Amino acid sequence: MKKKAILLIMVSAFLGSCTAVKEYEKVNLNDPDMALATKKVDRFEMNFQAYREAASGANGGKTGGGCGCN
Amino acid sequence: MEGKQVEVVDVINRKMKKLAIVIIMILPVLNVFAQGGEQKPDSVYKNRVLESTEIDILTSYYSQDGDNAAVSGGIGTEKLTDFTPTIVISVPLNEDDVLTLDAGISSYTSASSSNINPFDGDQPADPFQASSGASRADLYTNITGSYSHSSDDRNRIWSAKLSFSNEFDYSSFGFGGSYAWLFNEKNTELSINGNVYLDQWKLLYPIELRSFAGQAGDDEDEDEDDDRIPWEKLTGNTPYNPSFTGFNDESRNSYSLGLGFSQILSKRVQGSLSLDMVRQNGLLSTPYHRIYFADKDGSYIENFRLADDVERLPDTRTKVAIGGRLNFFLNEIFTARTYYRYYTDDWGIGSHTASIEIPVKLSGKFTLYPSYRFYQQTAADYFAAYEQHLSTEAYYTSDYDLSKFRSNQYGIGITYTDILTKARLWKFNLKSVDLKFHRYERNSSFKANMVSFGVKFVMDDL
Repeated sequence: MKKKAILLIMVSAFLGSCTAVKEYEKVNLNDPDMALATKKVDRFEMNFQAYREAASGANGGKTGGGCGCN
Repeated sequence: MEGKQVEVVDVINRKMKKLAIVIIMILPVLNVFAQGGEQKPDSVYKNRVLESTEIDILTSYYSQDGDNAAVSGGIGTEKLTDFTPTIVISVPLNEDDVLTLDAGISSYTSASSSNINPFDGDQPADPFQASSGASRADLYTNITGSYSHSSDDRNRIWSAKLSFSNEFDYSSFGFGGSYAWLFNEKNTELSINGNVYLDQWKLLYPIELRSFAGQAGDDEDEDEDDDRIPWEKLTGNTPYNPSFTGFNDESRNSYSLGLGFSQILSKRVQGSLSLDMVRQNGLLSTPYHRIYFADKDGSYIENFRLADDVERLPDTRTKVAIGGRLNFFLNEIFTARTYYRYYTDDWGIGSHTASIEIPVKLSGKFTLYPSYRFYQQTAADYFAAYEQHLSTEAYYTSDYDLSKFRSNQYGIGITYTDILTKARLWKFNLKSVDLKFHRYERNSSFKANMVSFGVKFVMDDL
């Protein structure tokens, strides 16, 4: 139930956006810290998490390939 | 031991030198392509996707320790250190196309690899002591090349990539592609990506099991004497005679399909949703992860219990992960980056990941990055601790990465950004410097620390 509620809130937030933000209004969104992708230096952190935890994917990191068993 | 480390560092130095020479030779050639795009007299003016060649030099140092090593059946040291220098070069081939080369060499020492053979050190074999023999250190190399093309209106981007990686017992070849479509005045983006990894094991069993699997009892590059098992010290259940059969399949293939959706929600908020589905088949067990059964009497040499078997896991696995990001521009100083992921697979593992990072702009050039990440997972159906499995089970593992646990991760980073790229080194202009530290703690004895460092240069035209 909790999971469904979280999902519903996230989907509602996305669907709630009706008005497009114009290019000249994107100055804050274009801030490098607002990027939805992760920074290159964060790859090492994501790699060790993928190796040490069972979960992977849906974060821009690797989803397969390589052993990671050491 | 020091001699081995010096040798590994020398190998890295030699490989990095070769890599640098190749890169320096390739860059002028690629730059010809880049300038070719500019010289078209009748070309329509377009902003370049990438203005000039960018070079990222990245390095990380990682260390971990814990008391639940999979190589010794769920007990023993998990000590591991890893040093990874990496270089990423992005070259604009013309206004629309970018070629990226990404290469890294990782040098690691680990109890996991050293205790495959715990008898080759100069101390009594013990699961809580990483063997100091030659097998304790090795190299992992990887290289990825990717190519991306953007449409004239920059609303459609496709890319393709090839990758290869290799370590002492494992190699991986991968290829993939992606397509992204921006619309709604670039407020909305839909994307799809697919990747295939064709991996190959070199089957390396625990040293004491190799004769039962028909393997010779020696490792490459080692004297046979180093691998000699001191059978005269055998105690407990004697003679040692496990019912062990090796694996037939040496391949592991992974197929992934990802879907992405990102949306600008306001002038200060944007977010994304992503879904990854992964199907794996082949040898999904690690051949040197030992198993000790509750219904078998143990055989010991010194303080080390000899394996009853190795980890056995199903040969297929299906994983599904769904994640969401929401980033908030709070004001000129603070930004909030949030992330949540739910993961499930058909091995019985479910997990939740949540993280937040609050970039704080200290000045025009310096930004601080405090962060926190929470993670929890349920155990795989096939997991049990040391000496908890029964020999009658079909599948078993004592790898604590597949156990039930929670973890907390704390991070702090600082970035220096020079928008005007004033600092120069030959033809390279410094754009940014990143330094990050992370502390990772499970609700067990497992702890890890990581330092990451990155420098980005923008290159003048050659």
